[in-house]
Amino acid sequence: MNAATLLPQAERVIEVRNVTKTYGSGATAFQALKGVDFPVNAGEFVMLSGPSGSGKTTLLSILGCVLTATSGHVQLMGEDISKAKEGDLPRLRRSYIGFVFQAHNLIASLTAQENVGLLLEMRGSSQSKARAEAGRLLDDVGLGDKLMSKPGDLSGGQRQRVAIARALAGSPPIILADEPTAALDAQNGLKVTETLRALAKEHGHTVVVVTHDNRIFHLADRIVHIEDGLIQEHP
Amino acid sequence: MSATGSPGPHHLVATRPAAAKAIRARQGFFSRFRMMGAVGLKMMFHSKLKLIGTLLGVVFAVVLSNQQAGTFLGLIYKNVMFVRNTDCDLWIMPRSTEVVGPGKLSTSALSQALVTKGVADAAPILIGGANVLLPNGGFQQVTLVGTKYPNYRGGPWNIVAGDRGALARPDTLIFEDSERELLGGLNLGSVREVNGRRVVVGGFTWGLIPFGPSYAFADFEVARELLKTPQDEVAFILVKLKPGADAAAVKDELSRNLPDAKVFDRKDFEASVLKFILTKTAIGITFGTSTVFGLIVGFVIVSLSMFSAVVDNIREFGTLKAIGVTNLDLSMLLFVQSVAYALLGSLVGLSLVAQMAKGIRSAKLALNTPPQLTLGTVVVMIIMCVFASSLALLRLRKVEPAMVFR
Repeated sequence: MNAATLLPQAERVIEVRNVTKTYGSGATAFQALKGVDFPVNAGEFVMLSGPSGSGKTTLLSILGCVLTATSGHVQLMGEDISKAKEGDLPRLRRSYIGFVFQAHNLIASLTAQENVGLLLEMRGSSQSKARAEAGRLLDDVGLGDKLMSKPGDLSGGQRQRVAIARALAGSPPIILADEPTAALDAQNGLKVTETLRALAKEHGHTVVVVTHDNRIFHLADRIVHIEDGLIQEHP
Repeated sequence: MSATGSPGPHHLVATRPAAAKAIRARQGFFSRFRMMGAVGLKMMFHSKLKLIGTLLGVVFAVVLSNQQAGTFLGLIYKNVMFVRNTDCDLWIMPRSTEVVGPGKLSTSALSQALVTKGVADAAPILIGGANVLLPNGGFQQVTLVGTKYPNYRGGPWNIVAGDRGALARPDTLIFEDSERELLGGLNLGSVREVNGRRVVVGGFTWGLIPFGPSYAFADFEVARELLKTPQDEVAFILVKLKPGADAAAVKDELSRNLPDAKVFDRKDFEASVLKFILTKTAIGITFGTSTVFGLIVGFVIVSLSMFSAVVDNIREFGTLKAIGVTNLDLSMLLFVQSVAYALLGSLVGLSLVAQMAKGIRSAKLALNTPPQLTLGTVVVMIIMCVFASSLALLRLRKVEPAMVFR
């Protein structure tokens, strides 16, 4: 048993039990997840690692409500999302999840402030409040002087920090990051990972990071290794 | 916070509520519409080449359809201008007459009209083809209109030289100014032979050219002699009503008393001319086809450009979906883009059409672009662009948000 499973249920933010995911059907069917259990508690900073094709991105996609499991149970903040209909998924994503993508995925035509403000508006802020809050969030990640810059005018590290500010917009309880350091050099990769860790340790967000980058493993509370669709947790 | 001194969220939450709470707030419909519209416009203007390509499609559709529709309306006007410019309330004509042209109506109809209650005046006109002998020996045809002194209810109008009173002088005609060279270099006082009889030029009109030869005007009796029309025949009778007379009642009365004739008010006669042009000539189908063709080509260009813009930005749309944007939100985005393309394209296209109209304006052809056509164009372009965006929307609906993790 690991530390997470010993915590009381009330602090459990992510509960994944016996989840499978199969792509395709018949002879061409491919089972990406083969009965995964993955509990994560509030404020944890967890890294998911494993070789390509191991199922870690599939698990992250299910946690991020962009994909549904074939079987098993998934709960976010106590809400069972296993049986959620397609039309409910956008609401679940808005309610629970902040994403940090590998390639930052900012909207090229929007400024840094607008990229962050968009999420805030979607989460109920007025335009003026969203603008002000986006400015504060960008200031917090050290980009207070880049509010009006478009992604094309920013460095890779700066773009990823805008992406982190966007993920934090509205303060969602869960932050999911997919290879956030993959496109960054070692120094910037470490900075971004430390920022993500701070979100968990200092501010109570639950952060799950998918990564291959063993240079940042030492910052994790737990490293969950996944291989061939099965979890092999490291102590 | 960090050993590396990286900017970290030291005070991120100090000013915000606790992190571990689900976000239940959601924008209202109109806020979402405004927000997605703003994002759509920014995306639209970000890709300049795509913007220009799509606008070209709209501009093409606007210019081609307007140029065709404007020319068609211009030609229609040329065929109804005689009806619009005559000084009368009702037209009496042979039953077979559909347009302004030669006709054989008995003069007894004139007597009947003059004694009908509510009629202030009735005057006959004659219309027929006449040949003008040119100084070089050739002939040029005109449409000769015989109009009755003293009111000259059948024209002429748009007189640019001389005056209508010149028709009272013996054997005097008024010709079309823009055809002066064609008629052998006409000037005021020039002498020509029309249908074998010597006449004098007493004035000029401008722009009175229907589908056929230009109009020339003569006194009714002069025209009768030139056209060799029998004494008991006229082409039309133009009826002027007394002030306050009930036009419908007078029309019914005349129709009852003149079983071999038909009676039209101006609106009916214009409709008859329009119906004739649309159903019995190739003009309607020719211009209609060109107009529809312009709209189809514009539709295809806009449709493909918008689809291509979506494909180019597919990852951004996937990201928007991943962060919680719904298909309805994306429909709003495309709708706003469509309307913006339509409005911008219409603005550019209609400006070009206005310049074209100025450039090609002549007595023979003038683009007729009334405000209704301009407004209709904008509405049609909006509809066209919104429909054209449906292909892009179909593609967007299929975008899987999970693609952002691949």
